[in-house]
Amino acid sequence: MTAADLAIILPEIVLALFAMGAMLAAVYTSKDAMAAALTYGTATVFLIMAFYIAVTGDGTRVGFGGMFIDDAFARFAKVAILLSAAAVLVIGVEAMEKSDLLRFEYPVLITLSVIGMMMMVSAGDLIALYMGLELQSLALYVIASLRRDSVRSTEAGLKYFILGALSSGLLLYGASLVYGYTGTTLFSGIIETAAGGEMALGLLFGLVFVMAGLAFKVSAAPFHMWTPDVYEGAPTPITALLATAPKVAAMALFARVVHDAFGGAVGDWQQIVAVLAVASMFLGAIAAIGQTDIKRLMAYSSISHMGFALIGLAAGTAQGVEAMLIYMAIYVTMNIGTFAFIMTMEKDRRHVTEISALSSFASREPAKALAILVLMFSLAGVPPLVGFFGKYAVLLAAVDAGMVWLAIAGVIASVIGAYYYLRIVYLMYFGDDREGLDGQMGTAAYIGLVGCAALMLLGVINLFGLEAPAAAAAEVLLR
Amino acid sequence: MASSGEAVPRTYGGPAGWISVAIPAALFAYFLQFVPVIAAGTPVVVGFDWVASLDIRLSVLIDGLSLTFALLISGIGTLVTLYSTKYLGEHPEYPRFVLYLMMFMIGMLGLVLADNLIALFVFWEITTISSYLLIGFTSDEAKSRRSALQALLVTGTGGLALLAGMILLGNVAGSFELSVILAQGDMIREHPLYLPILILFLAGAFTKSAQFPFHFWLPNAMAAPTPVSAYLHSATMVKAGVYLMARVNPALGETDVWFWTLIIAGGFTTVFASILAIRQTDIKQVLAYTTLMALGALTLFIGVGTADAIKAMMIFLVVHSLYKAALFLMIGIVDHETGTREAEVLRGLGRKMPLTFLGGAIAAISMAGIPPLFGFIGKEFLYKAGLELDTAMIWVTGTIFAASVLMFAAAGISVLRPFTGPLADTPRPAHEGPWAMWICPLILGVFSLGFGLFPDTAEAWLIAPGTWAVYGDYGYEVDIYLFREVNAAFVLSLVTFAAGAVVYAFHRPLRDWLGRVFEANPIKFDPGWDRVLDGLKALAGWQTRLLQSGVLQKYIFVIFLTFAVGVGATIYLKDALQISVDLRAEYDALSFKVWAVLIFITAGALLTAYTQSRMAAVAALGVVGIGVALIFIMFSAPDVAITQLLVETLVVVLVAVAMLKLPHLGLTKDRGRRPLHAALALTVGTLTTLVLFAVLQSDLDRRLTDYFEIASWPEAFGRNIVNVILVDFRALDTFGEIAVVVIAALAAYALLRGTQYGPPRDEIEGEERR
Amino acid sequence: MELLLSIMVGALVAASVYLMLARNVLRFLFGLILISNAANLTIFVAGRLTPEAPPLIPYGQDAPVGVVANALPQALVLTAIVIGFGLFAFALTLVYRTYQNLGTLNSDEMRLAEPEESKK
Repeated sequence: MTAADLAIILPEIVLALFAMGAMLAAVYTSKDAMAAALTYGTATVFLIMAFYIAVTGDGTRVGFGGMFIDDAFARFAKVAILLSAAAVLVIGVEAMEKSDLLRFEYPVLITLSVIGMMMMVSAGDLIALYMGLELQSLALYVIASLRRDSVRSTEAGLKYFILGALSSGLLLYGASLVYGYTGTTLFSGIIETAAGGEMALGLLFGLVFVMAGLAFKVSAAPFHMWTPDVYEGAPTPITALLATAPKVAAMALFARVVHDAFGGAVGDWQQIVAVLAVASMFLGAIAAIGQTDIKRLMAYSSISHMGFALIGLAAGTAQGVEAMLIYMAIYVTMNIGTFAFIMTMEKDRRHVTEISALSSFASREPAKALAILVLMFSLAGVPPLVGFFGKYAVLLAAVDAGMVWLAIAGVIASVIGAYYYLRIVYLMYFGDDREGLDGQMGTAAYIGLVGCAALMLLGVINLFGLEAPAAAAAEVLLR
Repeated sequence: MASSGEAVPRTYGGPAGWISVAIPAALFAYFLQFVPVIAAGTPVVVGFDWVASLDIRLSVLIDGLSLTFALLISGIGTLVTLYSTKYLGEHPEYPRFVLYLMMFMIGMLGLVLADNLIALFVFWEITTISSYLLIGFTSDEAKSRRSALQALLVTGTGGLALLAGMILLGNVAGSFELSVILAQGDMIREHPLYLPILILFLAGAFTKSAQFPFHFWLPNAMAAPTPVSAYLHSATMVKAGVYLMARVNPALGETDVWFWTLIIAGGFTTVFASILAIRQTDIKQVLAYTTLMALGALTLFIGVGTADAIKAMMIFLVVHSLYKAALFLMIGIVDHETGTREAEVLRGLGRKMPLTFLGGAIAAISMAGIPPLFGFIGKEFLYKAGLELDTAMIWVTGTIFAASVLMFAAAGISVLRPFTGPLADTPRPAHEGPWAMWICPLILGVFSLGFGLFPDTAEAWLIAPGTWAVYGDYGYEVDIYLFREVNAAFVLSLVTFAAGAVVYAFHRPLRDWLGRVFEANPIKFDPGWDRVLDGLKALAGWQTRLLQSGVLQKYIFVIFLTFAVGVGATIYLKDALQISVDLRAEYDALSFKVWAVLIFITAGALLTAYTQSRMAAVAALGVVGIGVALIFIMFSAPDVAITQLLVETLVVVLVAVAMLKLPHLGLTKDRGRRPLHAALALTVGTLTTLVLFAVLQSDLDRRLTDYFEIASWPEAFGRNIVNVILVDFRALDTFGEIAVVVIAALAAYALLRGTQYGPPRDEIEGEERR
Repeated sequence: MELLLSIMVGALVAASVYLMLARNVLRFLFGLILISNAANLTIFVAGRLTPEAPPLIPYGQDAPVGVVANALPQALVLTAIVIGFGLFAFALTLVYRTYQNLGTLNSDEMRLAEPEESKK
């Protein structure tokens, strides 16, 4: 370990010190009284770190003997993670306060999980990966069950943990198989062994187990079962978090493992990823139709979206990775906007999540309804909204990689998927019920909702220049 | 407009009204400039990059086809918006309506002008969305809402199929620019992906243009306000599918599949819709079905694909847009001023509404195909093109004949009958509508008449360039005329008039008879649509029940099952069971203590699984842990063994402490499922072993270990290699380890803090939900 | 030697899968402990076994003398054990909390998320 190593993980160290400091400060002062300030502070630190990483990062640096990689790909993912986590923190403050959950451990735990996510996307070694994953997951398990007084939250936390632990186990088992075959856990070492033509069986199994573990983290079918229950049970701002930053991290990690460690054997994992993608897209799209709870709906929607992102990965090309990154960035933005609204859904001073409560919402709140309409259409992938460009990018990548059947499956799934987003719009605009939501929306949430909707519209101009960094990130992964 | 707006502001919808008229009027004037350029036979292509990495460009292709469409869209758009200032001007949400209408118009113009396929698709979907909003504009009616959703889902689905087709086509042609793709027709037709591309494109076009079997949404969508029906459902949006087929004709057309698919679907739609049109009593519905018929005819002639057929198609396209928009606007005025659209109620309006009658009559004469209107020319050339065919001559001509006869009758039903004869009572006393409304059908009528009298103008401006663009041959001599000689087509026209007159005379008994026939017919598309949606919901419910039961145990079962099936299948497929085991050597290597430990651990594990007693389970776990530690010791890992012992002790102690507060394990109530679980567990265990065997078959790559062994003293001054690895070479692990333990502690604190609060607050709520 | 240990690992896995499939969450916890032991052993076995030769460098030498046990998996197992313990401690707390809140450890009764008698 050298000074150079430390310089590479500087952002992570800063965040860790911040978390420790915050914890100490909170313990020695009036504890929860400063939770709101601490939350805003955490968001600010995230923003600064995102800015720091985006501005100062340059080239590829490898630390800790190859275990930690700082390259354009990691930076892209880290910036996305930090920004989305910051947004969720700020937007969620009000909702957390209302449900009396704004304790000091909330921002601290989120910081710790963000550190875990950052380690995940920078991991250059299977064990470093495992650790980042555990760090992230442990913090999230707790956050998911933060509502100590709610049976649903408790149930959600337990289910999340049990299935999560299982998947971590699979991943660790896979890592040990890979080690057993290659004698190393470093990605740079594995790729050398795996490069020569057909992959040995032991290595293949290792890869399959590692991928199963990762599939759980991105909630791809058939490892998705935790998602709806946890999304519904967790407090809404936390659901918003679960739907955004960790998904980016897990997806980036997925890409890193299959390309950095197993890039020599694309044919071996391509089909597996494709199957995961198809299963997720269809399962998510079909199951969402019957939902009556908007949080559950968003859970299935996220499963389906992950399926689409996986299409990009299944392509196995730089274009595919780029498409996946663009897709994830867009997905996260859409989800932040949507959840900013869901958090503030109130009826008779109680938080509600029934979809039926949205009935004829447009007649009472035309501006908000329009913003949701934009977000829903974007989620459905209807052009000209930005969501369409994400879908189009992954489909194009699949076709260019010769996986036409996958692209066709994607199109069919998005047809089915469009139905339930449009149902929400339909209900808002044409619903019969004249009694619906009556809550007020805080400024932060309002800005989150309208801002994200505006992004979905304005982004059609040039996708905010997202392409160039995404292309650079994809480039470095497939060098 | 502005001055009238000041006098009666609300009536004209304020500034939204005249702005909405000015925009399409300006666009119309702008597009007129291109007429001479395009008539000279030089298409215009301009463009710039939009999303470069995705090959999306904003590029414009103006040729005869797109210009004809652009002029129709902006021209009819001007009239429809003018008309709407009166028709909907008093609606409280009129500005919103105008916004949607403008959005639609921009989408439609973009669609026909786009040179890039993906940009075309983007605009295609804009028209879908805006039409959804327009159909549902009068959202208080349940019917209107349902139709809006239906139209959206049908056309949206088709649109996505189209996208898939476009991606494939772009991939095959190596470009998404239409101007490039259209030049490679032969290569595309030879390509193995030709058929899938064709099917996907036609799925998009057929849904958009309401071709059989996707025809059912269009008549339902007529629940929209009448100006919307006039604009979207007759003149523009539904023709987008026709436009698309005409557009890609040079690339995808002229094959047998294309020919037969289009003429069968188009012909069937034509005949089917004509018959249904006669059956209606609501005049707007009559018009809706004749629109369907016209779309069928256009599809039919694109399918036929000869130069004459394309020319006839182009003429009929213009003819139909002119008269059908006029008729819709006419029935809108009638509806607006009398309060009904029923053919059975309305009589003798002509004296009360002379100008409306005039506008409607010109359109109806054109629709009936009577000279000297443009409609006559259209019909003549359809017949001519049909009669010239070698294959399917009877089918094409017969279809057009039947359609023309029924159109003749429909023209009578929708104009002649309501406006002539004695005046009948209507819900509101009939009177002439405002000028902004009646002038619109009249202006369209001027064009119908003008093009009929001066066919050369229409030919030079629109028909010839359009035919060249669709047929893909700029050398073809286009010639249209009103009347030159008595030929087969002309004779057929005369027969048409006679037959049409007969049908009109007997249309009321015919309608009743058709009504009875259709009542008896079990195949209905609309309920079928409902069943599809119900089926989808049922499927969703079934899938959720199956996979998302909420029972943790089942989730875990699925995960392990996936594991077992996946690994098992791979082992089987890769034929990996060829494991050479030197049992003799294995046996010899075993000393007594190893045997003992192995048995120890296995027994402990089995006991943990089997026992009903918590204490026995904990003890057995301890046995396993200690056994594992012994293995570490025996195989030269003392550090690991010590840690393992420590941790294992802690685990057992913690469990034992927790036991005091936790319930007993209880008898497993689900004995029925346990054998299944045991089977799965055994399978997974066996597979694990097999996989491990497979890994151990190969030699371990020890390079990294060798490096650590050599480097650990010179570089890190450590004699315990394991420690050196942990602290120096893999310090990140250690960092992470610490972090994980910290989090675990914090987590435990966060969870336990506040458990003394008592029972959960939302327990009651939870009970209620059950 | 490795092969026999592999069989034992299989037995451990089988037992833990069986435990994890039980309704009682406490049993799941036991399964978790067993499977983490199995995973640790897998890493250890995958690094090949060397009896009675700990990876130490004798004094006065720059490298180990003769064949010593593979040090890398040992380091990995150490990490895994510690993380596993963290996980376990948290799991135990969670189970405890769950029992406090829900009054049951039977996962069949934890289905607020998808009630059996759906009233949709």
